[in-house]
Amino acid sequence: MAIVLPKVSVKDLQEWSKLGEVFTSGHRLCAGCGAGTMARQVTLAAKVLGDPMMIVNATGCLEVASTVYPYTAWDVPWLHNAFENAAATASGAIEAMKSMQRKGLMRERNVNMIVFGGDGGTYDIGLQSLSGAIERGHDFLYVCYNNGAYMNCLSLDTHIMTKDGLKRVTDIQLGELVYAFDQNTNDLVLKECSGIFDNGIKEVYELKTLHHSIKTTINHPFLTVQRSRKNYENKLIWKTLEKLKPGDEIIVLKDMNDGKRYSFKEIKISKKGDYKVHKINEIKLPEESNPDLMEFLGLYVGDGWTRPHKAETGFSFPENSEARSRLVFLSKKLFDLEPSTAHQNDVYLYSVNLARFVDSLDFGKGAKNKIIPSWVFTLPYEEKEAFVKGLMQSDGYSIGKSNRYVSASYELLKTLRLLLQTINYRVGKIHQQTKKKGTFVVYRQLLEDSTYGYVCFSKKKKPNINKYLSQAKQRDFLADNEYFSSEKIVSIEFIKEEPTIDLRVEDEHNFIADGIVVHNTGIQRSSGTPQGAATTTTPPGTVIPGKIEWQKPLAEIMAAHDIPTFTASPAYPRDLMAKVQAALKHDGPAFMLVDSPCNLGQRYAPDMSMEIAKLAVKTCFFPLFYTYKEDWVLTGISSRLAKNPDRKLPIEDYLKPQGRFRHLFKPEWKKKLIEIQDTVDEKWERLVTKATCV
Amino acid sequence: MSGVRQVVGMTGDEAVAHAAKLVNPDVVAAYPITPQTIIAERYSDFVNNGEVDTSFISVESEHSAMSACVGASLTGARVFTATASAGLALMYEILYVASGMRCPIVLAVANRAFSAPINIHGECTDQLVCRDASWVSLFGESAQEAYDETILSFKIAEHPDVMLPAMFGIEGFIVTHALERVETLSKQQVDDFIPASRIVRDRFCPDENKTFGSLVLQDYYMEIKRQQEEAMQNAYKVTEDAMQEFSELSGRKMEITEKYQLEDADYAFVSYGATAGNAKAVVDRLRAKGEKVGALKIRLFRPFPSMDMFQALSGIKAATILDRSATFGSPGTIVQTDIASALYGKENVPSLHGYINGLGGRVLTLPEIEEVYEMSKEYNNIGINSTTDWVGYRK
Repeated sequence: MAIVLPKVSVKDLQEWSKLGEVFTSGHRLCAGCGAGTMARQVTLAAKVLGDPMMIVNATGCLEVASTVYPYTAWDVPWLHNAFENAAATASGAIEAMKSMQRKGLMRERNVNMIVFGGDGGTYDIGLQSLSGAIERGHDFLYVCYNNGAYMNCLSLDTHIMTKDGLKRVTDIQLGELVYAFDQNTNDLVLKECSGIFDNGIKEVYELKTLHHSIKTTINHPFLTVQRSRKNYENKLIWKTLEKLKPGDEIIVLKDMNDGKRYSFKEIKISKKGDYKVHKINEIKLPEESNPDLMEFLGLYVGDGWTRPHKAETGFSFPENSEARSRLVFLSKKLFDLEPSTAHQNDVYLYSVNLARFVDSLDFGKGAKNKIIPSWVFTLPYEEKEAFVKGLMQSDGYSIGKSNRYVSASYELLKTLRLLLQTINYRVGKIHQQTKKKGTFVVYRQLLEDSTYGYVCFSKKKKPNINKYLSQAKQRDFLADNEYFSSEKIVSIEFIKEEPTIDLRVEDEHNFIADGIVVHNTGIQRSSGTPQGAATTTTPPGTVIPGKIEWQKPLAEIMAAHDIPTFTASPAYPRDLMAKVQAALKHDGPAFMLVDSPCNLGQRYAPDMSMEIAKLAVKTCFFPLFYTYKEDWVLTGISSRLAKNPDRKLPIEDYLKPQGRFRHLFKPEWKKKLIEIQDTVDEKWERLVTKATCV
Repeated sequence: MSGVRQVVGMTGDEAVAHAAKLVNPDVVAAYPITPQTIIAERYSDFVNNGEVDTSFISVESEHSAMSACVGASLTGARVFTATASAGLALMYEILYVASGMRCPIVLAVANRAFSAPINIHGECTDQLVCRDASWVSLFGESAQEAYDETILSFKIAEHPDVMLPAMFGIEGFIVTHALERVETLSKQQVDDFIPASRIVRDRFCPDENKTFGSLVLQDYYMEIKRQQEEAMQNAYKVTEDAMQEFSELSGRKMEITEKYQLEDADYAFVSYGATAGNAKAVVDRLRAKGEKVGALKIRLFRPFPSMDMFQALSGIKAATILDRSATFGSPGTIVQTDIASALYGKENVPSLHGYINGLGGRVLTLPEIEEVYEMSKEYNNIGINSTTDWVGYRK
């Protein structure tokens, strides 16, 4: 019987959506995950048919994220057995029902059996089980959601030292230069980040030294000092966290004094004569950073705010405070601007351009959300010192040589700690406390019960290494090193399970996370991974640019079993749902390959998933079609593209937004891009030649 | 019970297939492997001739066989399968899924040596290494015991206090392919022994929106595993009762351990499977020479009958353990280490002498067993209370 796709209208979708979800909310798939969208569409299309459905799910993202005991996101009978045997498990359930119905042990009825498997569980390890079940003619729809790799160790709030300053590990881009430790020369070097991997939810431990701490997985390697016998060189070796214990020495960053002045981005400047601008406080804005400006910004981060719509940059410095007099001095010197000091507690600088300028510097809004942005980490030593000086004048105090800085923003304290570690300060851990309303904290009375934190720090004295090198080395193996030092581990404690991420770094295979030298680790390729894609097992090298092979032709392999085979995309729900219904109405096995974008593995922003899925179809990388025996039929957009070839987009449009293909856009791999385009064209031509259009 | 006993000649494999036919499970998923092949072949004959109304799934691997069994069992069906050696090893991953999801699947194992070198003959290593998979594990000595244990296994596995899968083994070719006298049961007798209704449990079926096989993390995993251990402990009593009931039904005595001439014995053989027959023959020969020796046969390997071991062996001077299984770098043979653990710290227990023998179907002759017996005695006499040796190989 030939396959007939039902017509699904937008109105149908509206009606169906009232039926209620089968794959319900509360599951733990990532924001932006294509698999969740796909699962909802498939199950809703099945629900519309009326017969009861049962689902068998192979091990994978969808399974793990939807059934964390004792919860489940599935409002239908659902079974998971293992990774590679979903099809065989469905075989067993189908035969059990048949047999028990024959014996009168179960009510007779038609059941729609749906099997979900990822690309790893289908293209690779589960292919045999799937092929076997189809050969036996077991009546199910197997849906393979292909996200193009085995997607599987640092905590997400780890900060990485890059050429452009300190960045959260989640903001690192492929190709970005990160600082690393050169194991031959013990120097600080810049290396390219060639891979970023989401490693899923893992157990996270916190490692602390006197001045540093980092959250990491148990298997993450750290560079440690192996002390040798007298007269032998000490060695640096990599050890995983599980093998480390308190007292072991690890390598940390102490100084990065090769910073340079920062050139500010251009911002919109209003001037007299602009639309509706009659009067303005003209000021001179700096183009580059300088110590005075950094001190001013230190004061701002401590106790400032901006309200650009009121042309206001405000500071809450009481009368007669040192901070206030310093602010008045600096604003005159820097901007030629006289602050308004009439108010008892606050100082105002009125200039719309200044407010906009300060806003553009990414210090964060609100006392609890302030942060030291990455560019501050790239500054020269004296500018960083001036910034810290400004901060101290606002919310800090000193006791002897020891300084203490107080803030309600945890992120600010964390980034301050890391900043101080780049200018050779000794920094303690972040303390947090809650104080009652009315308590005096740093010259001010609290207006409400508040939680805030503080860090203590002091300048390190340089040991006289010329005279006492061996003694200094006894304490700190890298005492004579300009950038790094060794520190003893104080504690390693289990924190909790949380999402983790990891980086790959060229050549040196290490990077500086939260000020500590750590090793990079290894989304592995599957046979569903596209050619040229970077994964941990197919890294983009200098000789081989990512995965060499084209994807396994899974749809064609399944079609060769003489079963209805469909391709579909969650970006085109009407097409997908029509195909699900046609497949379930068919008597016997059917297979559907769904392109299921994964923002973490494919490296793009989570709100782009459907856009990426559309581009896969519009570039003819993933054509929408179905086939049964000799029929090949293009559907939806793909059918339209076959009729209007000039609307087909170049493959670059699909590859470019994805981080996993970024390396292909380097000049040396231009040839590879052409090759990929040629293969896409050839496969598309072949399909168009044998297919009809709807 | 039944007035006339029906006696037929059957090989061990045929006995299993015929016994399974009387049980008439809902689903059989199996993949052929020597020496289990005859079980799968005979059973497909029964299916295709309409003698049973089982769904027979000809899967494409043992991994899929066990996977399909898990799917079928969770749907509420009575499920049976059979395999051997490499097949059992391929199933290994899913053995844990079957017990973890409490699927009372019954598995017949035609015990065969592992590759490499490849060998198709009798050896029990394949089944013994599944000892920690939370499966009830039995061994049979003859075609008759294979027949009986097929039926018995369903009774144990499906008992509400157990709800664990069960496997039983017979040695490849030595039992699977040897034609023996088998007393059969009638369909009515089996129907009386095994309840007609299917187990009552949460089922993977259209009427129940239930989730099976969810991800269980540190917060609950251990509690679920602990329930498996409790079920395994219950399995001992359930097996004892089931064997008692089966003895009454069939008129053949069936016990967790079989004791042969042990009452007044100073020395004992401990064995399982086909080797037990040889041990009993040697006991007869030695008794004729005036030796005070007996034999103990283990039928239930998991849960391990520790108390039975102690009771049967207490007062014995030296026990000779004949183990047709290979283990490397272990403190003793597989069964020996279990017995040693069971007897540890108890008074009046024998010295234990384990002998790895008969690998890959190698025959350990009766004179060789007598030699081994003398060795054990010798060790015991000079005060060595635990030894492990390989015997019956070219030195």
